[in-house]
Formats: sequence, C-alpha cells, structure tokens
Amino acid sequence: MSAEDSDSTQSPTRRVTVRGGVQSAGDASSRSVPSPADLYANGAYGETLVRSLMRAQLGVALGVLLPAAAVVITFPILSVLLPGLVKLTVAGVPVTVAVLGVGIYPPLVVLAVLYVRRSAKVEERFVALFDKR
Amino acid sequence: MTDTGAVVGVVAVSLATAAVASRGLRVSRTRDDFLVAARQVPSALNAAAISGEYLSAASFLGVAGLAMADGVGALWYAVGYAAGYLVLLAVVAAPLRRFGAYTIPDFAEGRLDSPLLRKVSTGFVLVICGFYLLPQMEGAGVTLQVAFGGPYWVGVVVLGVVVTGAIASGGMKGITFVQSFEFWLKLVAIALPALALLAVFHHPSLDSVSAKAPAVFERATTVRFSEPTGIRVAVPVRVAVHGELDGSSHEATEGTVLELSAGLHQVGAGASISFPAGASAPTPTSGALSNRQWLSPLLLLGGRSIHPLAATYGIILATFLGALGLPHILVRFYTNPDGQTARRTTAIVVMLLSCFYVWPALLALLGRVEAPGLYLSKTTDTVVLVLPRLAVGGVGERILSALVAGGAFAAFLSTSSGLLIATAGALSHDILAGGVKAFRLSAVGTGLVVTVAGLAVRGSSINVLVGWAFAVAASSFCPLLILGIWWTRLTRRGALAGLLIGGGSASGAVVAAMAGAATRGWPAILVQVPAIWTVPLAFATMIVVSLLTPRSLPSDVMGKLRALHLPEALRQPGLTDP
Repeated sequence: MSAEDSDSTQSPTRRVTVRGGVQSAGDASSRSVPSPADLYANGAYGETLVRSLMRAQLGVALGVLLPAAAVVITFPILSVLLPGLVKLTVAGVPVTVAVLGVGIYPPLVVLAVLYVRRSAKVEERFVALFDKR
Repeated sequence: MTDTGAVVGVVAVSLATAAVASRGLRVSRTRDDFLVAARQVPSALNAAAISGEYLSAASFLGVAGLAMADGVGALWYAVGYAAGYLVLLAVVAAPLRRFGAYTIPDFAEGRLDSPLLRKVSTGFVLVICGFYLLPQMEGAGVTLQVAFGGPYWVGVVVLGVVVTGAIASGGMKGITFVQSFEFWLKLVAIALPALALLAVFHHPSLDSVSAKAPAVFERATTVRFSEPTGIRVAVPVRVAVHGELDGSSHEATEGTVLELSAGLHQVGAGASISFPAGASAPTPTSGALSNRQWLSPLLLLGGRSIHPLAATYGIILATFLGALGLPHILVRFYTNPDGQTARRTTAIVVMLLSCFYVWPALLALLGRVEAPGLYLSKTTDTVVLVLPRLAVGGVGERILSALVAGGAFAAFLSTSSGLLIATAGALSHDILAGGVKAFRLSAVGTGLVVTVAGLAVRGSSINVLVGWAFAVAASSFCPLLILGIWWTRLTRRGALAGLLIGGGSASGAVVAAMAGAATRGWPAILVQVPAIWTVPLAFATMIVVSLLTPRSLPSDVMGKLRALHLPEALRQPGLTDP
C-alpha cells in the first residue's frame, strides 16, 4: 500500500510564517530549511515533521468536531432540564421540530466549510516549510 | 387500489435502471475503470453521486415514517446521517484517499500488514451490508404495496431481481453520472410534494400539532388494519365496516354502515373501516403519543419512553460514527484526484444531505396532522407515499404520486446496488477465488439470501433496521479507521481484538433485538441501541490490547503515516515508500 499517485505538480504557495504547528527538531535541524527528502529519511527529524503535521491536522479536526459534539450533547439534556422547551414555538413551528428538522443543518455546513479551509491552510504552511529545489 | 401515477414512477425508474445496466454490459468495469474515472470527476458531481448512493429507503421513507410514529426525537437519525459526513470529513476523508485504500479490508491489510485482519474486515463488510440491505428490501415491498395494492412480497422480489440482475450482468455501479442524477431525483421527489402539500392544506397544519384538537380525516379514508387493534373513538361517527369489529363480523362486500360510538372498540386483523371526510380520527389504544410526547426531542424507542436520554445518545453515537464505516461509501472517495479534493467533495456532501433532510422532517409533521389513519393501520413508513394522495386531486396528485414512488424506488435501487456490489466484491475477492465469474456468483447468491431475508423483516421500522447497520459499522470499522489513521501505536492484535469484540457484540445485540429479546428497561436499551456501549467498548479494546501487545506493531509505521498524511506536493517519485 503506498502513495501510488505522485504527480507532484506543486502549486507554488506563498511563503507563510508558521506559528506553532511545526517546530524545529532539535539536533537534526542544523539546516534551517528542510527538504522533502528529510521526511522520508528514517530518522527522528523526519518523524518529528510528520507528527507535527498530524498534530496540527488533528487540532483542526477537533476544532470543528468538539463544537458540534457540544451542541449535540447539550440539546437532549437541555430538554430534560427545561421541560417547558417542548411547548415553545418559533414562527408557529414547535421549537424541537425547528431545531432538529432545520436549524441544526446550517451550523453543520459552516463547520464543514471551516474545516476544509483550515486544513488546506495547515497543509499550505507545511509545504511552504520545505526547500523544493 | 392501483395508483397509476405511482406505477408510472416505479416503471420509469426501473426502465432507466435496465437501460443503464445494459450499457454496463458493454462497458466492462474493473477496479482500473475507477482509477481512470478518478482524474475526471469534479467535486460537485462526485458529491452528488456519493449522496445519491447514500440516501436509501431509510432516508426517503424511514425518517419521516419513524418521526411520525415515534416523535420528533427520531429526527436524530436524520441529523446523524448528515453529521456523519462531518466526522468522515474531519478524520478520514483525505488520509484514506491519500493512502490509496479502495475498500476497508484494503486499508486494514495495508495499514497493519495483516491478511488475517483483512479476512475479519471482510466478514464485517458482509454483516453490515446484510443488515443494511434488509430495510431496502422492506422499503421496496412497502412501496409497491402502496403503488399496486398487491402483496408485500412482490416489491421485495422485484427489487431483488432487478438489482441482482443489473449487477450480475455487470452494470450499474461506478457510473457517477447516474448516481448523481439519482440524488437530484430523490431531492426533487421529496421536496416538491412537501412544498405542494404545505401550499394545499388549507388550515395552518403546523399550528395544530401543538393544539389539543384531535386529528381529522381531510378526505373520506379507508383504514386497513393488518393486526388486531384497539381504538379509542372520541366523537361518534358513522362508518362502513368490513371485517371484524367488537367480536361481530361484517362481510358485506361494500361494508356494513354503522355508528361507531365514543369509547373503546376492538378491530380484528384484516378488517377495514371507511371514515367520511371531516371525521375525527380515533387513536390506537397502544402506542399513541400525545402531542407533548411527540414533540419531545428525545428518542422514544417504539414510541415508549425507555431511558430516552440513553437511547438518544446511543443513536447519536451510531449515526455520527457509523457513516465513516459503511463499506459501500469508501469506494466513491477513490474517485477524488487528491486529498484536498476528497475534503471538498465531503463538505459538499454535508451540504447536499442537509438540503435533503429538512423535507422528511416536514413530511413527518404534515403526516402527524393530515394522515391519522396511518397510526391506526401502523403503516407510518408509507407516509411519504400516501400524503400526496390525501391532499392533491386530479393530475397534480398523479404527478406527485409518480414522483414519490419513483424517488423511493430510486432510493432502494441506488443504495442496494452499491451494497450488493460491496458484498459481492468482498465475497468474490477475499473469500472465493476472484474474477468476474466469482463476482457474478456472489452477486446472485447474496441477492437470493437478501431477498428471502427481506420477506422475513416485514413490519419492522425501516429506519430502525438501518440504524442497526450503522451501530455495527460504528463499533467495528470506525475505531479501526480513526485509530489506524491518527494513532501510531495501534497493533495488529489490538485492531483484531477491537474489531471482533466491538463489532461482534454490536452484531450480537442487533440479532437479539431482531429476535425481540428485550423490550423493557435497560436490557431494551442495551440491545436495541447497542452503540451506546459497543462503540466505547471497541475503542477501549483496541487501545488497551494495542498497548499490551507492542510486539505486534506493524513494520514501518512512519511510512504508513506518511502515506496517510503527507500532502501530494511533498510526495516525490523515488522518495515514496518502498
């Protein structure tokens, strides 16, 4: 199982200063600019680079999943704590129908779009770190 | 009782399928065809194709039916079906595309170097697809029953034969354009009737859900009782009865006209009662929800309040985490050219599904007000099909009936063909010798088994059955994918133990639930909403066993993580993994 497609037609990305995310990796980083070959060399430096990318991407993922989870976990509890909720209506529509039938979807879409943008940015920054001859 | 409009819709969709299938005979399809297509499919088209294949009988009929029967809490299923793609987007879409895994067994073997893990994964592909195919069969049975007025088995057999035939002859799947067309067909087929109904009902339907007034038959309505049912009549009404009522039988062909007094009555199985227009609808003595109960945002299992918070969270876990473990969906992600496109495609899927699921919710609400007869006959799963007939007359009614029946049939066809391909592919590739002949044999065998099983599940809620398939996926493949992609210390034994214990206990619970093992208290929750304990159990097992068995760590974990996570720009020929 491997990277079977590698048309490395790389769109030149702006050089972005990377904050957090990718740190320099101790002794191995005598050079200031890593090359893609460092990623594939079996050593602590390459591993650190890959792990830092994973950590950054996991952060982006949790950044959208945790808010979604918070909403989804609180709403059922809220309905138990506030039994009056069921009687409320929004523009003639019962509030529970309005939330579970319609209202919950727009935030879902916003989170999805946010994730796509943020994860792309993380990748751009990561790629921009490298010296690509 | 034949509905011409519905017949036209079903026949049109079947003919279109047959046409596509016959084209498939000429264009032979192999794994490589997918690879070729991969470079050319734009995100929006691909997203519509994914959604088209995903929206099954559960989404088209089941969500509205279950929400009408068990209340607004059942809409969590729809929310989860859509939100599952947010989870898929955030944790698996891009890495899986980059890894180059074509199926979940491919991923299992590739990530953990274990042919045994591949075999076990194949087993769960079969289990999940099986659980998922049953409700599609039931949906077809119900739809054709409504359309033709014939027996239930006809629809099951028709779907079984059409899908099996189409796939065994080499057609259907992979034709992205057809699947994406089916998404738009389904969206229009559910949105247009909902909008028309909203415009037609002359009193503000939405208000009367919260009002105390009993539901009224808008039109003269004949209710058929498939099982003995106790009914409570609030307002005396003159009805025509055919069959058994309160112990005496009425066999006149056009029915005996009599006065149904206020109070309790017992209707026999197979009886039918015709109510005049404007009559207040009786309520069934068991399973009827008050408006207040119906509006609760918590899941009521079978309409009963059994630990509703636990049931709700169980369904949330199953549906949010189950989508990423569905065997027939992953294949489609391979048609994205790269990781970032896979993300964009998935985000569009979230958007498209969000546009779809508002309509079943609206139809459930309208059904609650406008189709009280479905509560009596216990056929709420047909609400999407039946509603257009109640409100619209003449040509409009025929067009809408054709649309919903066609949309419903498209839903079974697209999903069950995807599932059958996944099943036959797994069977032929991983269990039999492989090759086209084995694939056809597997397709026919699976089709046969599923058709027979489809006859047996009659009367179960379509949506509940699909929810069980999600529960098994969430308890088996979900932890395998998430930990395999994000955790460096996952070992072969850990993965194997997690799959077997998590997936095994979820499957066991589902089988027990199907057999009607537990219906009260906590046992009912544990068996009917298994995800609430099997998902945490699967994750815990995978993690703990992995930590205990560091020696079965696969070789070159870093190489695999590079393949999963590095952007395409940093992959260079000669620098890729050996």
